Amino acid sequence: MTFCFTGIRSFPKLWKSNPYLGLGPAHSSVCLFLKDCYGIRNQQKWFSLKTASPQNTKAVNLLIAKARYPRKGDKGNKKQVSSDSPHLFAAGAAKKRSQMNPQSKDHVLSPVRDTIQLPTKPLNSEEWDKLKEDFKGKANFENWISSQMAHCRSSVDVAKSLLAWVAAKNNGIIGYDLLVKYLYLCVFHKQTSEVIDVYEIMKTRYKSLESGGNSLLIRGLIHSDRWREALLLLEDIKKVMIPSKKNYHDCIQGALLHQDVKTAWDLYQELLGHDVVPMLETLKAFFDFGKDIKDDQYSNKLLDILLYLRNNQLYPGESFAHSVKTWFESVPGEQWKGQFTTIQKSGQCLGCGKTIESIRLSPEEYEFLKGKILRDVIDGGDQYKKTTPQELKRFQNFVKHCPPFDIVIDGLNVAKMFPKSRESQVLLDVVSQLAKQNLRLLVLGRKHMLRQGSRWRRDEMEMVQKQASCFFADNISEDDPFLLYATLHSGNHCKFITKDLMRDHKACLPDAKTQRLFFKWQQGHQLAIINRLPGSKITFQRILSHDTVVQTTGDSWHIPYDEDLVERYSYEVPTKWLCLHRQT
Amino acid sequence: MPVFLKMSVSITFLRPFARCLVPFTLQRKRRVLYSTILQRYMSSKIPAVSYPNKESTSPPEQLELDGWKVTMKSSVQDEDASTVASSKDEDPLTATRELIEMWRLLGREVPEHISEEELKTLMECVSKSSKKKYLKYLYVKEKMKKAKQIKKEMKAAAKEEAKDQLLETTKEDKQQNFLFLRLWDRNMEIAMGWKGAQAMQFGQPLVFDMAYAEYMKPKELQNTVSQLLESEGWNRRNVDPFHIYFCNLQLDGAYHRELVKRYGEKWNKLLLTATEKSHVDLFPKDSIIYLTADSPNVMTTFKHDKIYVVGSFVDKNMQSGTSLAKAKRLKLATECLPLDKYLQWDTGTKNLTLDQMMRILLCLKNTGSWEEALKFVPRRKHTGYLEISQPSQEIVNRSKKSKTFNSFPKGSLNKRSQKR
Repeated sequence: MTFCFTGIRSFPKLWKSNPYLGLGPAHSSVCLFLKDCYGIRNQQKWFSLKTASPQNTKAVNLLIAKARYPRKGDKGNKKQVSSDSPHLFAAGAAKKRSQMNPQSKDHVLSPVRDTIQLPTKPLNSEEWDKLKEDFKGKANFENWISSQMAHCRSSVDVAKSLLAWVAAKNNGIIGYDLLVKYLYLCVFHKQTSEVIDVYEIMKTRYKSLESGGNSLLIRGLIHSDRWREALLLLEDIKKVMIPSKKNYHDCIQGALLHQDVKTAWDLYQELLGHDVVPMLETLKAFFDFGKDIKDDQYSNKLLDILLYLRNNQLYPGESFAHSVKTWFESVPGEQWKGQFTTIQKSGQCLGCGKTIESIRLSPEEYEFLKGKILRDVIDGGDQYKKTTPQELKRFQNFVKHCPPFDIVIDGLNVAKMFPKSRESQVLLDVVSQLAKQNLRLLVLGRKHMLRQGSRWRRDEMEMVQKQASCFFADNISEDDPFLLYATLHSGNHCKFITKDLMRDHKACLPDAKTQRLFFKWQQGHQLAIINRLPGSKITFQRILSHDTVVQTTGDSWHIPYDEDLVERYSYEVPTKWLCLHRQT
Repeated sequence: MPVFLKMSVSITFLRPFARCLVPFTLQRKRRVLYSTILQRYMSSKIPAVSYPNKESTSPPEQLELDGWKVTMKSSVQDEDASTVASSKDEDPLTATRELIEMWRLLGREVPEHISEEELKTLMECVSKSSKKKYLKYLYVKEKMKKAKQIKKEMKAAAKEEAKDQLLETTKEDKQQNFLFLRLWDRNMEIAMGWKGAQAMQFGQPLVFDMAYAEYMKPKELQNTVSQLLESEGWNRRNVDPFHIYFCNLQLDGAYHRELVKRYGEKWNKLLLTATEKSHVDLFPKDSIIYLTADSPNVMTTFKHDKIYVVGSFVDKNMQSGTSLAKAKRLKLATECLPLDKYLQWDTGTKNLTLDQMMRILLCLKNTGSWEEALKFVPRRKHTGYLEISQPSQEIVNRSKKSKTFNSFPKGSLNKRSQKR
């Protein structure tokens, strides 16, 4: 043990460069070997190799270089990220933030494969018997092997030989579960005639099927001439539950494949009637099919789909955006021209120069949101949960008697931005910098900030109070709802400063529509500080001036879409746009 | 230690070759991968292409693959007519029943038998996932019931056997002298009754606040009542029981109904006070302490002159701060258990079940030691006690090995002292 410790001590620099093991050397070594045994991270493996053989310096240096190399790469990435600095709600921003956080490590567990090799060609019954003997597991052999085959998408013939073997053993009877797994393989390999055979068998053998079998049959049947029977199966599902959007998608796809446009639209309406959000593939299918149809009614329905996307703040995927573009360009006599662009900071489309809709809420929307925040987020049916009635009254009086503010600051969030510097100093720094710009400030905080302590100096807090209006809530009250209300009360020009994404408060709102309104308002009014060093001049994440939503002006359409390779979180918006305009 | 040394030696030996070994194995792996992919690709592709004219191309020793279809179709032809006729006019209830049956065939977690009432509850579930959840609940319930039944039968059989043996041996049994008749259970019951009556007169009050019925779903309410029953049982068996109050218990409310249902006839003979009044009406306000995990104040000692209030509330819905809001509204003092001070918390919420709270409070009342009392906190929630006096111990506590090592002698020691 001592031997390996000396090994570690001789490379103190290396340890420092490793952020995972910030503790003392004795402690971290335990950590290291534990990790190494589990084989979680490759890098640590390199280290353990090194500690074991400190005498061979040449090789060690090589290894160190190797171990360091990925770290350097990381740093390069980081720089890139910070220089890019996408705005808080841009697609992929959260992913990048999480990558910047060094604590996140992903465990990669190698899947444990079972011992039996799946057959690649049909076997006869002797061979199956032999395979069964080899199998040692808790589960039923037939079940297990059929699941494995479904999982690995074995060929239909192999599965068929399994069924033949089972049937031969079992007086020609095959269990429902085996049949469903076989059906899955047939559907996967698009063997329509097999699907129909299984369909016949199931129809005669069982009075009714369950949802899984029905879904598979629907998916299999829509490609055949008997696709109308898929609609009957859909009716069967409806008897007990609402069919899934996938079921509807398959049926609509089937109808479109067989040129039955009316049925397709009827199914679509029915789907919307169930309050189910359709799959984007369904909508794409309508656009794809629309290329060959020259019909005003159909075109209007497609435009309705675009409006549906707008109202529900849905964004098409990349291929869907291409379909939309192709359809627009295929409309005869209208000469649409589409291009993929981005939007400038000023809110102008790079493609056509038109200004995108503003992020501002309309006055009615604004009043509506204000009322909802007060009623559902602050009050929430029980005023004692987040505050007390006395405090609420005190706050409302306070806000009423102050002229509107320009900026509302979440004192605690801002002060805790740099863990190494003193809270009150950071807060004072931010407040005085903003006060120099002649902005009317409001600082929200809790009462404990006023108590003298090592983190909160009284003189600095007094300076803050001189430069800004302050409101201190009780220590057990929540300050975020007050922040939201004060900002909303001051009017549309007022902004608020916090890094908090406010997802919990958004969740308090009753319905999706209000939540979307809140999100839109938040995008337009939240300032997040992106400084990495205390003391430097504060810079804010830029605020979008435009709303990211599907929109039209009659002779132009602007449609934001998701790129295939970017992972977008639910509270982010896409950055890429499809710009369509009519040439005159 | 020797193992470790050996390992390091073997690694040093391998290291010079490591660089040439790694690429080689990688390459080989890749080749294998390619070949399997190719194989899979071919095997799935060929039949698909040749499918339509398979009969002509297939080799003579080709297996009979489609035979089962014929039997599957034909074997039901006779009963076919009857089933089709009956399946035309069916209500959703039977359709659901059939669906469940088919799911069972598929190996899903659904019950084998389902009653009309359960089926109706199932139909009332709003979403698909809630339906699945309910079905799984029924499935697990059924399974447990079956397992219990089997156990019972086995026990009965064993008993029967033992009885036969006993009959053989006791034939020539001689007279024996005993001091007591075997009426222990009843004696214990009576003694506990006496103690309970004493507690009713002179015991320290402990309040269960029952004002949370509206925040709970039926299932949570049932869980709460189970926990209440258990805590009442723990209290009854203690040397110095609390005088339990059920405050804010609405007559014929959901709580009351469930309690009466579970206690049966015993409900009216329970040695506790159930009242519709609130605890603020019964006791002076300044002696009440409301226990809630959301409280900012930490409980340091158990005070024998205070009245502790526990909210009887199982919250599976994450409505945090409900009980704190209740206490704030009535302007009561609040406290929470010093869990973070004494335990190395690991997972789970700080909300403990009612019976755990009861046992902790009873233990505090009798011994006053936090270490003893917090033994009733579930072991899965924390990784061990924090030794405040010895900071060096803390580091040892953290690593996994020493944790089990540490807790073992402690547990065995306690067992011993209890025996004494």
